[in-house]
Amino acid sequence: MSETAYPAPPQTPFATSVRKSLFSSPLDCLVTVVCAVLLCLLLYHLVDWAFLSSIWTEEDEPLCKEASGACWSVIDARHRIIFFGLFPFEEHWRSTVACIVMIATIVASCVPWFWSGLKLSVLWITGFAIFYLLMHGGLFGLSVITPERWGGLALTIFIFAAVSLIGMPLSIVLALGRRSRLPVIARLVGLFIDFFRSLPLLTILFTAAVITPFLLPGWLQGDKLYRVIVGFAIFFAAYQAENIRAGLQAIPAGQDEAGKTLGLNYMQRVTRIQLPQAFRNSLPAIVNQFVITFKETSIVTIVGFFEILASGSAAFGTGKWTHHYIEVYVFIGLIYFIFVFSLSRYGAYLEKKLRVGHG
Amino acid sequence: MAEQHNNQRDNQEVDEAVTMINVNKWFDDFHVLKNINLDVGNREKVVVCGPSGSGKSTLIRCICKLEDHQKGTINVLGTELNDDVANIDEIRREVGMVFQQFNLFPHMTVLENCTLAQMLVRKKSRKEAEAVAMQFLEKVRIPEQAVKYPGELSGGQQQRVAIARSLCMNPKIMLFDEPTSALDPEMISEVLDVMVALAEEGMTMVCVTHEMGFARRVADRVIFMDQGEIVEQNSPQEFFDNPVNERTQLFLSQILQH
Repeated sequence: MSETAYPAPPQTPFATSVRKSLFSSPLDCLVTVVCAVLLCLLLYHLVDWAFLSSIWTEEDEPLCKEASGACWSVIDARHRIIFFGLFPFEEHWRSTVACIVMIATIVASCVPWFWSGLKLSVLWITGFAIFYLLMHGGLFGLSVITPERWGGLALTIFIFAAVSLIGMPLSIVLALGRRSRLPVIARLVGLFIDFFRSLPLLTILFTAAVITPFLLPGWLQGDKLYRVIVGFAIFFAAYQAENIRAGLQAIPAGQDEAGKTLGLNYMQRVTRIQLPQAFRNSLPAIVNQFVITFKETSIVTIVGFFEILASGSAAFGTGKWTHHYIEVYVFIGLIYFIFVFSLSRYGAYLEKKLRVGHG
Repeated sequence: MAEQHNNQRDNQEVDEAVTMINVNKWFDDFHVLKNINLDVGNREKVVVCGPSGSGKSTLIRCICKLEDHQKGTINVLGTELNDDVANIDEIRREVGMVFQQFNLFPHMTVLENCTLAQMLVRKKSRKEAEAVAMQFLEKVRIPEQAVKYPGELSGGQQQRVAIARSLCMNPKIMLFDEPTSALDPEMISEVLDVMVALAEEGMTMVCVTHEMGFARRVADRVIFMDQGEIVEQNSPQEFFDNPVNERTQLFLSQILQH
């Protein structure tokens, strides 16, 4: 037995480790220098295009022809189209507030304090009610604006939120159903999931928008937007269910048995023991599905909705702006990035939080 | 209804905690339990041993209905185990089980592990449940670990938490399924000490274990199983010193060599 515990050797200083990994041989030095120069050039051109040589205001638009940089005038002039689509101009404030309310609802439901059935229900019902009141109007002297004229960012956020809200509980039910001990239920749910996974999203949206009106009785049809959202949600749930099922599958059987021997009933075991662990197990895949869904909302343009990408196309679709589609797409890309990046960071935070005590 | 049931049971003190009559069980075509007849009296401590695959784990898993039996009857605390869900839940509340792999809930602290079922099943307040939990954590001598997660504890500590978690439900019978088999050797005794203390308090216990020292010290009766049958049962004294059956002799010679 050794008597003394020796201190750990000091960590390699940063400079040393850089020299070791990047400049350890003449060839290494060459590769490092060449790559660094290329990177700097690329970065310089990007900054130059976006900031140094760019034109910023609508009035300066005539200068765009001479300028070597980006022509942000198009954003200055057309940002309302991008953000609001076909929504009536005087009512844009309604769309803005509705959008903020919906984002606030999403953000709030990400905060652990809200994680109880009651709080979440209250939160989402209030959020959707305010959103609907503002967007649709018809009360408190607000003029009625039907969903066909909703558009831009508000529509994108709304579709994403609604699909997640309907899709998530559905996916949990499907995942549990597929693992049911009753073979009939397990088979049927399996068939349902595989059926919707094998269809392209486009087909589902088309069916929901165009074909279901012929099949459903009038009172069940609802607005086209809601049919599309339900179709989208089923598609989302089919994929998400498989993610959750993977998480459930990874839980050792002993966990459920321990719950049983403590006298917990099925619902208690599912909500307190299985689902929390399943979410932890497959969190990366679950977040991934949300990210994909956020970006796939742009597909609804095909059935005639002007979500943010379609509104963007409309922004450069007329007259003098037709040449500036790159700026518009970069701008929209930035908006997508903000949302998707926040989602990924939130996923990383959750992973860290849920890993507590798992070494 | 359920309450009526409870009262009935409390009033007429049953002599047998567990009664198994001609119990048979198959996994597909494999006959795991063959005509098992077993009575476990109140406050009795029974140790079940036997080679692996002999059906001993399956036997005690049948008692808390983690496994279904196909033939015969099992009576636990005066209630017959059948497919009636209410019956099963009621039995499980009174029967505690400790597993080889501990099966603590990894996403909850030690304290939450101990309070969960009390609050959900016994409908206790958080405060009450925590008081009970701390009392049993003290009993298994790890109250200081209450706020930690199971992953931060050693195997022996986890198994003691698992025992405390079961005791929190105030069970009338405790089942142990090889509670020390997954432990590092130096941790076995801390778990056995807790089990001995429990036995001395008069808990009805059925233990599947190969800890023969424990069996000698605590058991009222040792049961030897092989190939799905109860081959021999006797007091520990007789069982270890004068095993009758050949298979028992072989088994004992194998495990007592070390």
